[in-house]
Formats: sequence, structure tokens, C-alpha cells
Amino acid sequence: MSDKKRAAYRTGIVVFLVVAALTAVEFYLASISGAIAVLFFIALIKAALIVRYFMHVNRLWTDEGHE
Amino acid sequence: MSVATTTLSQYRAQLRSNRLGLWLFFISELFLFGGLLISRFYLWGGTRPDLDQRLGLIVTSILLLSSFFMYLAEVGAEHENRRLFLFSLIMTALLGTAFLLGVVIFEWGGEIRPWDGAFGAILYGMTGMHALHVASGIVLILIVAYNGLRGRYTAERHWGVEACAIYWHYVDVVWIFFYPAIYLMGTVPT
Repeated sequence: MSDKKRAAYRTGIVVFLVVAALTAVEFYLASISGAIAVLFFIALIKAALIVRYFMHVNRLWTDEGHE
Repeated sequence: MSVATTTLSQYRAQLRSNRLGLWLFFISELFLFGGLLISRFYLWGGTRPDLDQRLGLIVTSILLLSSFFMYLAEVGAEHENRRLFLFSLIMTALLGTAFLLGVVIFEWGGEIRPWDGAFGAILYGMTGMHALHVASGIVLILIVAYNGLRGRYTAERHWGVEACAIYWHYVDVVWIFFYPAIYLMGTVPT
């Protein structure tokens, strides 16, 4: 397996696990307090991770991918 | 410069425009989903309907897992791993369908109806509009899977896969904000 492919797998797994963990944190925090600001902040972090690593927003200004 | 090289360079130039166009489409969609989200805070304020919390967590986890499989499908296409590509794509479609069924059958089958005031209107407006995008995403996935089966994608040329993946992740991002707004934020009025 190439280094590039291995790195892609690692990125996907790490992002998935972090977003899953943050979802669990959200669920727990909501059970003790439905604080809107905190939950919205966590959602922002989760969205940023997906946009950066799964949606590859940086490809808009680079030639990454399809090489 | 050979004809093949010229064609590939043209393809890459077109790719930049395609990506920009897709992201502009997402920005236009932000107004739709953002409007729904703002309506939720305007009409529900610090309250929320009494929904099944376990169901919310389960469908959210299913959609997140589907996003992970879609990522794997794209990695498979990028590295010409046909088996990983097709398996992950089918898994994404199945999980997306499970999410859709969870919302439509179980959530919409609950006590709240669309005509039940602000709770019903916003709940069905948000989940309905999102479900519509999930359903269209599943159709896109099936089209990409069909094209993949016919060998229409290569490591160098798979914009169809990339666009479908980005769209699916976008649907996931929308739910990342909708899930806490519908299920978690605020308190249930007594």
C-alpha cells in the first residue's frame, strides 16, 4: 500500500472518530444542559473537520487530487 | 504535446471550474438551510419538541458512518481500488436509506404532525428538506455506482465520484447543525 493511500485511510479514520466522539459529547452535554452556544460551537468544529478533510475545500485553490 | 496529454490538461482545467461551481451551489443552498435554522431559533427559541433522543442519536450516527464510507469510496476511486470503491459506495447508499427510513418512518410516525403549530411546521420543514437532499444523494450514488461498474472512472478522471462525495458530505454537514438544533438545544416545555 502506498504512503499516500495509507495517509488517506488514516485521515478518514481519525476524522470519523473525532466527529463521532464530538457527537457523543454533544449528546451528553444536552442531557445535563441544553446550552445552545456550546452545542453550536461543537457543531462548528465537526462541520469544519468534514469540510476540510472529507469535502477537500482546499482543492478549490490547489490542484490536489486527480493527479 | 500529445493529444492525450492535452486532453488531460483540459480535463484538469475544467476540474477547477467544476469544483468552483459546485461550491457556489452549496453557498446558494446555505440560504435555504440557514433560513430553516434561523426559523427554528425564531419560532422555538429556548424550547424544543419532545422527540426520541435515542432515535436522533442513531440516525445521526448512521449518517456520519455513511459519510465515512463515502470518503472510502473516493479514496478507492483515487487509487483505482475498484472493490473498495464499489463496496463503500453501496454501503453509503444503504446507510443513507436507513437514515431516510429512520426519519420518515420513526420520527414522522411520532406524535407531532406538520400542522401542530411551530413545532410541527419547523420539525417537518427541516427534516423534510434535508430528507429530500438525502434521497437525491442516494440517486446520485446509484448513478455513480452504475458508471463505476461500467469502468467509467480512473485515478486521473473521476469528477463524478468527487462531486457525488462532496454533495453527500454537504448533506452530512447540514445535519451536523440540524441534529442539535432539533433534538438537543433548549428544553422541552412542560
